[in-house]
Amino acid sequence: MLSQCLAIARREFFFIWRDKDLRYILLFGPLLGLLIFYGTYSHQVLKDIPTAIADLDRSRASQELVKNIRGAENLKITAYPESYDELEDLIKKGTVVAGVVIPENYGKDLSLSRQTRVEMIVDGSNMIYATNATSAMLSVSHTLSAQTGVKTLVARGIAPAQAAAAYQSAEFREEAWFNPTLNYAYFVVLALALNIWQQCCTLTACMTIVGETGAASWYQFKSLGISRLRLFISKSAAQIITFMAVALPVFFLAFAVFKLPLRCGFLLFFLFSLAFATALHSVGTLASSIAWDPVNAARFGMIIALPSFLVSGYTYPLESMPGCLQIIAKILPQTWYFQGINLLAFKDPGWAFMSQYFLAFLIIAAVCYTVSAVIVARRT
Amino acid sequence: MTPLINVKDLKQTIGKQKILNGLSFMLSAGECLGLFGGRGAGKTTLLHILAGIDRFKSGSVEILGCDIRKSEAFKKRLGLITQERSLFRDLRAYENLEFIAVLKGAGTENITALVKRFELNNILGEPVNTLDAGVYQRLSMACALLNKPRILLADDLINDIDPRSQHIILRELNSFISGGGSCIWSFSRIEFCRATGKVGWLENGTLSLYSPQEAQELWDSRLRLIEQQSGENDA
Amino acid sequence: MKQILYITYYETIHIFKDKILLVLIFFVPLLYAFFFGAVYSQGILTGIPLAVVDLDHSALSREVIKSFENSPRFSIVQDITTYPLLEEGMRKSVIRAGVVIPENFARDADLNRGTEILTVYDGSNLIWGYNIRKYTLEVVNQFNTGHASSYMAGLGLTKKEITNILDTLSTNIDVWYNPTFSYTSYMLYGLIMLVIHQICLLSASLTVTREKEKNCWIQFLSSPLPAWKIFLGKSLPYFLTGFFNYVLLIWFITRFVQIKIEGSVFLMALLGLLYTVVIISAGFYISLKAKNSLQATRFIMLLSVPLLMVSGYTWPQTHIPAFINNFASLIPFTWMAEGFRNIAVKDLGAGCLTPVILALSLMSITAVLLAVSFAKRKNRPMKIFNDHF
Repeated sequence: MLSQCLAIARREFFFIWRDKDLRYILLFGPLLGLLIFYGTYSHQVLKDIPTAIADLDRSRASQELVKNIRGAENLKITAYPESYDELEDLIKKGTVVAGVVIPENYGKDLSLSRQTRVEMIVDGSNMIYATNATSAMLSVSHTLSAQTGVKTLVARGIAPAQAAAAYQSAEFREEAWFNPTLNYAYFVVLALALNIWQQCCTLTACMTIVGETGAASWYQFKSLGISRLRLFISKSAAQIITFMAVALPVFFLAFAVFKLPLRCGFLLFFLFSLAFATALHSVGTLASSIAWDPVNAARFGMIIALPSFLVSGYTYPLESMPGCLQIIAKILPQTWYFQGINLLAFKDPGWAFMSQYFLAFLIIAAVCYTVSAVIVARRT
Repeated sequence: MTPLINVKDLKQTIGKQKILNGLSFMLSAGECLGLFGGRGAGKTTLLHILAGIDRFKSGSVEILGCDIRKSEAFKKRLGLITQERSLFRDLRAYENLEFIAVLKGAGTENITALVKRFELNNILGEPVNTLDAGVYQRLSMACALLNKPRILLADDLINDIDPRSQHIILRELNSFISGGGSCIWSFSRIEFCRATGKVGWLENGTLSLYSPQEAQELWDSRLRLIEQQSGENDA
Repeated sequence: MKQILYITYYETIHIFKDKILLVLIFFVPLLYAFFFGAVYSQGILTGIPLAVVDLDHSALSREVIKSFENSPRFSIVQDITTYPLLEEGMRKSVIRAGVVIPENFARDADLNRGTEILTVYDGSNLIWGYNIRKYTLEVVNQFNTGHASSYMAGLGLTKKEITNILDTLSTNIDVWYNPTFSYTSYMLYGLIMLVIHQICLLSASLTVTREKEKNCWIQFLSSPLPAWKIFLGKSLPYFLTGFFNYVLLIWFITRFVQIKIEGSVFLMALLGLLYTVVIISAGFYISLKAKNSLQATRFIMLLSVPLLMVSGYTWPQTHIPAFINNFASLIPFTWMAEGFRNIAVKDLGAGCLTPVILALSLMSITAVLLAVSFAKRKNRPMKIFNDHF
């Protein structure tokens, strides 16, 4: 009995191996994905946001301000346009993302305590740039107004200590937990690579019932009198083992070579991925039982697998999506997985907390396998 | 008279296997060549090269005076019937006739006559997928003749189909030949050789030409040889 | 001309008979647009769960808390009041940010004893992280200004004097193009362009592979029809539906989702036209080369995510290594996504879009040339699949 199962499982391995496209996709897809994404985010931290300063004043005071901005965290001054129009043009073309305009007579107005206005411009079209540039500008603006404020108060004859106290209400220190350097690569690279992995696995799982390994050899198996359940379990086990085998080099590269963070123990992470692979396989099987040929099964599977990452709330948070969509998202195993790996990689909330995620995978797998069994039983 | 088809030293390999190994032959107007050989002898390979579908390794093929490597013009006067079903499955019989006529750049005015000659009237509205082999073959031949070709290439023309369809197809083939067309058609059962003008026996990548009687005799003598040998072995 | 139209007619009949293809072309794009539109319908991150651990309970600490309460961005979670609870809440993602005011904060601050308020935020999701950081800085700046003005009032300065002093140097941060930091205006157009890209590529890439699988391709090869007519006839329906989807999806999201749309309609149409021509031609070319439909489907679908990430639409190109940027510049999506954003969100004119238009035109010409110049001959098969030759 066991030898039968092993023989079927072996045939399944060989099938995946002989299907050249599937072999390349599984072997190289996730790894290539990891490499591409790691390359793309190799700067890791969004420093050096290209910024332009239009100094229309060219006084000592304005020069000091320029120095101040140059010292600001995350900004890199790449251009010194001569006029406002020129600055506008640079932002339009996307050459710079942020700009500062120091008005004419800035130094003179300041020394006379006359009002003056420094214009800071941020291109809001790319969110990643815009939030960071705005934060940098806010810091600059904070120190700038404090400095000028103290000076103005002193000029009005208020004691320097008191003037300083007015602007020194409270010191704020900020800390980014779990990812203190705000490393974008840490945030997305692993998740994106595993997203490719889950897509590759979906493609394979979609072949369970309708693929060549299913339909054509179905009669062979049938004539041998092997129970359908045993056949299915052996095939599925072979596929799920393949999924995990394919993921291992990705994990190795990600954690050992690229040093992406993993706060929890590797065992928990591995088991979590295994549970997900099983749930994913059940969804693929369902797609496979609904479709009538491999191409359509692949399409069904991918229609689910493609948007699942976006809907999972890994980037744009689930909490900010409409309620009904949150419910739909929670039906998909991908949502639980991507939410889960974020927790495991950065926060390690412990086995007890993660148990609800395991439960979710279990329920999804049970439902999908049952439904596909019913569909297959009805058809034959 | 210049030959319609002139093949010189044609070679074709698939992977490392030599399928055609230096074939040469000519075919003139009004001739009918039956291409005979077992499964895998290279009949389809040869016909697909002549139809300008497949590339070939070396040699030269001239059809209607064109070098088929350089020109597409000969396809205007060519009809092809394939071994595997190649009509448009999701179209009905009539739609196939119409569509293929357009593809061939021929007018649709031939359709009515061909439908009548091939006795296709009853099945015009049916999807080609559901047609019986014999009817399908008649339809394929009608499609191939839409552009009034001078050369007809037919792969497996009358194998395993009903006698009625066989009769119609052979009748139309004869009228095509007597109208000055020339034809190459392949078959794998020796008894069909009587329906050809001459037999091209394809074996080991080369072509030997025989008259139908010679081909039949050669086949019979081979059969006798095999019987003798197996008789000796049994003894 | 009649031949081309007839091929188009046949292809259209096929689309309508193949239910899945029909759904893929006319329903899936809209479904995705609806889906993504719903995902980003809120658009702006608000109501960020924030915990305040006030160990001081002074007037000053309450003033700090009030500034956070007043910010529309944060919503304060009441029952987390100690540091360990804050830690646990952050770990379980119940809260995304926290403020910790140390004991004796007000007194120490008064005595200049170097004390500070700790603001923490979740860096594990940087969409949260970046935004919370910005919001926190806004609140802190506001608090400081408020504090300074009340301090000055304590020194006996009049309201007018205080305003004058505070306004001596006003630093105004002007966020152009997307002042509300709407995630919708940021992401949705890119995703829509990706949907168009993938659907067009997928549908067009099956037109020849399908014929090959059904053996009908022989009918085309053995006919005297020139290659360009086959290409034109077969790709015309996909081109038309592709452009139709482009218009439909843009109309749909601008009609039903809060998204900024500005700029010249003519430019949008031009880009859409070029974009669909490139993709459909490329899809046709792929379908000539692909072994079978399954292969084409699999590889094209796997492309989606890498295409988006590599394009520099989200993570900016300035921070992507040159070799990846060079590679990305060969992909029409890269140009289209950025180009469309420049029109719809940044309202740029033809002058700024010249490189995009040039690149897409060049790609169209190349793709069309590749697609029409196929040889109407099959290569000699490399392996023996069937038992007949």
